[in-house]
Amino acid sequence: MIEIRQLSKSYAGKSALRNIDLCLPQGEIVGLFGENGAGKTTLMKCILNFLPHRGEILLDGESITSKNIARLSFATSEHSFFPNLTAQAHRDFYASHFPRFLDRRFQGLMEFFELPMHKALHGFSTGQKNQFEVILALSQGADYILMDEPFAGNDIFNREDFYKVLLGILEPNETILLSTHLIEEVSGFIGRALLLRHGSLVGDVSMAQLEETGQDLVGYIKQTWQYRPDRVGRALDELSGKEE
Amino acid sequence: MRKSEFLSRHTPPGADLHPQWRVLSMGGVVSWLYSLGFIFRFADAWSQLYSYDRVSGKRVLQEGVIMPDFIQLLDNALLGFGLLAIVMIGFCIFYYTYHRQGSRSIYLMRRLPDRWELHRRCLSLPLLTATLCIAAAALLLLLYYGIYCLATPESCLRPGQWQMIWGIRS
Repeated sequence: MIEIRQLSKSYAGKSALRNIDLCLPQGEIVGLFGENGAGKTTLMKCILNFLPHRGEILLDGESITSKNIARLSFATSEHSFFPNLTAQAHRDFYASHFPRFLDRRFQGLMEFFELPMHKALHGFSTGQKNQFEVILALSQGADYILMDEPFAGNDIFNREDFYKVLLGILEPNETILLSTHLIEEVSGFIGRALLLRHGSLVGDVSMAQLEETGQDLVGYIKQTWQYRPDRVGRALDELSGKEE
Repeated sequence: MRKSEFLSRHTPPGADLHPQWRVLSMGGVVSWLYSLGFIFRFADAWSQLYSYDRVSGKRVLQEGVIMPDFIQLLDNALLGFGLLAIVMIGFCIFYYTYHRQGSRSIYLMRRLPDRWELHRRCLSLPLLTATLCIAAAALLLLLYYGIYCLATPESCLRPGQWQMIWGIRS
């Protein structure tokens, strides 16, 4: 379980995360939602210890260090692979550094997405790069897979394929924390939704809870964010110079 | 360990090593050529120890003449190797920034169970190269000092030459 206690992070005095308290048990698929700049990426980077922060982040009761960091993997839209290396070279690199590397899963996903093994990554299309980034994160053998807008730039068919594959291959011990703006698309396969706004955790709800209340995820998010549907209309009126 | 295996483990994955080889090979040659300045200064000073006897047609060692100090003749002949070693600091920075170019492979390197992996890959080759530069400078220092001591007539040598290199006054 990942436990986050009173996590705060600020950049040059500007608060990016405020007193986040959160638990991520094993075996969940969790969606992380929020507007741009809400703190989704910062939260993930703090969990991975990439950023100095205040508060505590524990993995099964221990701080996250080089001893247990291999239990976390990360797929980011910024990409964390080596552009000059081939997929094969990445496979070798991961296999030699991560003892629990899942070679069969890697091979299977590479074949499924028809990605070339012997071509340098810089020659891949954006969609292929995203796919490969996620393949690496899923194949590392991590218990917690953090994905930061991994499908940015992929077409809808591609994304749907991925969601299906994801649901099919995940082991019960694997947890996914998925940050995305594609709320409707992922609402069918996440089990829990976290909502960040201006660095604060403003919503934490399970899909089962939403089902009980008969509310859909988009509705819940709009309600939690106090979204004003008339905002666009009013803005357009003002811009086009209409007077009441 | 074979050279290719060493390089694959001690350099950033996929990094182009050609710039470093180019700087090392060209810088090494230029530094060595520049160090030859000592030989020219030494040969000039050495020839001034002698006068030419027109009668016998031989060179004759002048009386009471003293060879300039080794450190004076050496001057900054080994400076090139020092500069080359300093340039390697730039390569360390280049290798670290490499992990932020084109992608953010720094995120992968910082997630590795071996927390020294990133530093080993960014620092090993530049540090090894810097060490080679310093070793080359030390070897040339010994060689030139040997030439100075062996080729200079003993009567023209001021004592304490070796100590003078390190700034120790006898």
